[in-house]
Amino acid sequence: MNKFMSMLENILLPIADKLNNNRYLTALRNGFMVALPLIIFGSIFVVIANLPFLDKLIGEEAYATYQSTLGPASAATLSIMGLFVIMGIGYKMVEQRGGEAVYGAAVAVAAFLVLTPQVLDGVSNVIPTNILGAQGMFLGIFTAFIAAELYQLFVSKKLTIKMPQGVPSAVSRSFSALIPISLTLTIFLGIRIIFSYTPYDTVQNFIYTLIQEPLTALGSGLPATLIAVLLIQVFWFFGLHGQIIINSIFDPIWYALNEENLTAFQAGEALPNIVTKQFIDTFIVGIGGSGMTLAVLIAIFVVAKSRQLRELGKLGGPSGIFNVNEPVIFGLPIIMNPLVIIPWLFAPVVVAAVTYFAMYTGFAPRPAGLIVPWTTPALLSGYLATGNNIMGTVMQLINMAIVFVIWVPFLKVMDKQYYESEQKAAQSAE
Amino acid sequence: MKRIVLACSAGMSTSLLVTKMEEEATSRGLDTKIWAVAQDKAPEAMKEADVLLIGPQMRFMKRKFQEIADQENIPLDVIDAMSYGRIDGKAVLDHALKLIEG
Repeated sequence: MNKFMSMLENILLPIADKLNNNRYLTALRNGFMVALPLIIFGSIFVVIANLPFLDKLIGEEAYATYQSTLGPASAATLSIMGLFVIMGIGYKMVEQRGGEAVYGAAVAVAAFLVLTPQVLDGVSNVIPTNILGAQGMFLGIFTAFIAAELYQLFVSKKLTIKMPQGVPSAVSRSFSALIPISLTLTIFLGIRIIFSYTPYDTVQNFIYTLIQEPLTALGSGLPATLIAVLLIQVFWFFGLHGQIIINSIFDPIWYALNEENLTAFQAGEALPNIVTKQFIDTFIVGIGGSGMTLAVLIAIFVVAKSRQLRELGKLGGPSGIFNVNEPVIFGLPIIMNPLVIIPWLFAPVVVAAVTYFAMYTGFAPRPAGLIVPWTTPALLSGYLATGNNIMGTVMQLINMAIVFVIWVPFLKVMDKQYYESEQKAAQSAE
Repeated sequence: MKRIVLACSAGMSTSLLVTKMEEEATSRGLDTKIWAVAQDKAPEAMKEADVLLIGPQMRFMKRKFQEIADQENIPLDVIDAMSYGRIDGKAVLDHALKLIEG
């Protein structure tokens, strides 16, 4: 068993290393982190704008005014999150190379806008906001990568105008960026022109039909989701941060799906997707952290007699409420522990499948597309993520019950071992 | 003063450990500054630290951080998984001090 484990670790560690130290994936992850505060700000206002029963309380008309008054908060952040992701990626890409990061952000946004059709329903000189949201996010990510790389390339080729000494540094810096930015954006203009001669008309359209749609369709399906959930658990079993590894691949898809739901939610239409960023974050990971260990902690309080497990419960309880579960993962321990491998790997997979079907049949509400901070305690997060729906909380309770039931037999075996060795230690001490 | 920085994915779980390490340092009467950062802030934080400790779940970042640590000329290591799980401030503080002393 030990040999097999170390063999698997030898495979997984390089994968984790590659994925995490890949320049593009690092920039992508950190770029999303730039957008996150804005996304959460927007989400908070969507929650406030959709308070339950308020329409009955103040009347339909006043409620509509109330909603449209608060509208700009999310329209300026959450709905155009792609813009901030592009900025973040452009910035981080150039920062990694030690360049002037703010130009990376600027050139990425400009390149994206060069590719963006600035006409909507025959009205020109407009930037359609849906393109700055999830719909344009894939193109935005690729554009930011390429624009930042080109910019850095031209900077490193010393294609810059050197200013004589005595010119203020800010002035010379703005000139030093001139040629690299001009060349980069000219290339993007060329790309736009080339695409206007293809049947796709715009690059947006091309990426959307050829890459984004198939990928999100795949990512929104149950099989890919179950695999992603299982992989998160496998990585964690070896003590590697599963989410951060898997998210760097799935986040663009999950956020895009999330955004589609948000648009539908705000328009009062049926929510198109079940699997979204919040499906994973609220109904699976968000119940005490990866592996849904809040339910495991509760199970420990109910069944454990050994001092070791009870101590762990006390240690891991408070942080577990806020979905920080490293004490449980390293303390139980979960890593490399053959006794817990079955519940650890499969409880979240079962939960993901059950939640999927509950949402599919309409028993539980689908995530409304808001982003709830991942440290929000379970039960509250379910309510918020489904757009103030108490059934979201009920779904989380059901999920906790599932994890609880799957874990109890295994915890009992572990507890018995710990308890007996504690008794033995106590006897030999006497 | 000994400056110890801890890094994990978001700086959350390491901050649990920071509290315990500070308690231990105070009881020993040591002059320390201990803080936790998210992994993307670690390179910046290393400029102001004497040692970097990485959460075991982020141990795959060690290679990347090693390059920066070499530049800044500070030691770094991955925190032992057992001490991490027990939030054992004493053991991790000892680990950090040992690294600083080289």
